[in-house]
Amino acid sequence: MNLAEVQALEERYLMHTYKRGPVDFVRGEGALLWDADGKEYLDFLAGISVCSIGHCHPAVVAAVTDQTARLMHVSNLFYTEPMARLAQRLSESSLGGRAFFANSGTEANECAIKVARKHAHGRGVTAPEIVSFEGEFHGRTYGALSATPGLAKSEVLGPMLPGFRSVPRNDAAALRGAVGENTAAVLIEPIQGEAGVYLTSDEALLAAREACDETGALLIFDEIQTGMGRTGSLWAYQQTPVRPDVLTAAKALGGGVPIGACITAPVAADVLQPGDHGSTFAGGPVATAAALAVLGVIDDPVLLRRVRELGAELREGLEALDGVRETRGRGLMIGVGLEQGIDAAAVGADLLARGLVVNVPVSGTLRLLPPLVVDSAQIEKAVGLIGESLSEALGLADS
Amino acid sequence: MRRSSLETSTSERLAAIVTAAEEAAAKVIDDAEAEGRRYLSDAQAEADRIVAERLSAPAGLTDSLIAQAEAIRRQSERLLDSLAQARAEFEPDLAPAPAASRGSHLTAVAPVEEQAEAEEKAEPNPPGDRQNHAGARLLATQMAVSGSSREEIDSRLRNGFEIDDTDAILDAILGPEDD
Repeated sequence: MNLAEVQALEERYLMHTYKRGPVDFVRGEGALLWDADGKEYLDFLAGISVCSIGHCHPAVVAAVTDQTARLMHVSNLFYTEPMARLAQRLSESSLGGRAFFANSGTEANECAIKVARKHAHGRGVTAPEIVSFEGEFHGRTYGALSATPGLAKSEVLGPMLPGFRSVPRNDAAALRGAVGENTAAVLIEPIQGEAGVYLTSDEALLAAREACDETGALLIFDEIQTGMGRTGSLWAYQQTPVRPDVLTAAKALGGGVPIGACITAPVAADVLQPGDHGSTFAGGPVATAAALAVLGVIDDPVLLRRVRELGAELREGLEALDGVRETRGRGLMIGVGLEQGIDAAAVGADLLARGLVVNVPVSGTLRLLPPLVVDSAQIEKAVGLIGESLSEALGLADS
Repeated sequence: MRRSSLETSTSERLAAIVTAAEEAAAKVIDDAEAEGRRYLSDAQAEADRIVAERLSAPAGLTDSLIAQAEAIRRQSERLLDSLAQARAEFEPDLAPAPAASRGSHLTAVAPVEEQAEAEEKAEPNPPGDRQNHAGARLLATQMAVSGSSREEIDSRLRNGFEIDDTDAILDAILGPEDD
């Protein structure tokens, strides 16, 4: 089946919820992808930070292959060892409380929202609110959607859930003003990914922690994109001056196998009780075995140091290019702000044609999320391709 | 009557805020200590692994591996020492009796008048400064635990907190530079 035939099937049978690039990928290895015609691509998106240890990493392939051959699913009515071991590993590597497994990032956030609301009810709050910064993205199920300021305004998808409010990005004073006795939680992305990679400031994080401590609200970090080594530490909060009460993870956690997790500190570990939450598939042995394999690769000080070094190398190369206004981010989570007049979407499409996969989350910004196992030569090649594309764009912009 | 009720309410609220702050500080120390212990355990495992590698590696490579292992072990021990120091710094404000449980960090809240008097006597220290200092310490500790180098932590403290002299924080967590 060629690309045109696949596109025809998609056009006829799939809901039109995505704008897809004109490529039919059939194989991946490390930081490389190949399309149906055998053309090679350098992948600096990693399936939106999912394939962080590269495509088809042998450790994940082996774990999934072994587990699928033995046991794929029994439901959460019974025990399975990979689930228990993964919960232990996640807890001990982060906040020290308990984990709830989900099938995706948005579901992990649904769990966090439930934890926050029930925790608030336990404190006598009858109309709990969750406060976020504008620009954040927490998912597309209704709870997470309602907590996503930019999308919650959609009238055609309304009504949204009540009990969510937002303040301008990094406005510490506005956040302090918004957090009160009815606040159940402050929900924060330590680095806003979908907004174009913007760091939440230390001042804003400290204000959030302080406001939560004063009111008894929970501080929740959405680490769905920033977690699992993306920023050069296993969790992004480890490079901030605060420690959350709850964090959510997904994307890279399964290395390509869908899984999410909501992980608590001890303060919120016992909030949810039987009947409060659940999932048929979540925490299944295949997904949790994959996640254990991924953690085995990523939770390595040598790899994480390399992520920080390569991130600095990539940003240095990008900042030397004509057409780049600024770079933002941490580790290998990088937003590239382009100069005024450059059509970022056109640059993204041009890069795909040149064999480099990137993403354009918002106007004027390229988002780079290469696999954490990328090497210096691949970074140099990517910078070269982006430079060529920007030079052409600048030439076109000038003409 | 009404004034008395208001005073009681304010007193209770202040007491609740102080208790919450104490619990938060205690939690940070407990969590950091637990993380430090895990780090030490991991580091010792890593050191053992490196030593085991020595047995099978060519002799020329082994000296640096052994040195790395020893450095990891020394850094881990210093990290635990710094956590103990952090506890000592916090505890005069918190609980008189050190013990393993979180409850040990807590102390009975003084009546509002007594507390206000004590605060008047205390050296003025804006809440924002205390928060920033605690934040800087926590940031440095979390970065150290997650494997960042002295230079990386130093850079982050200078850029994020505009701290010119970072040595005190870094020495407390990682040990003196020339060690």
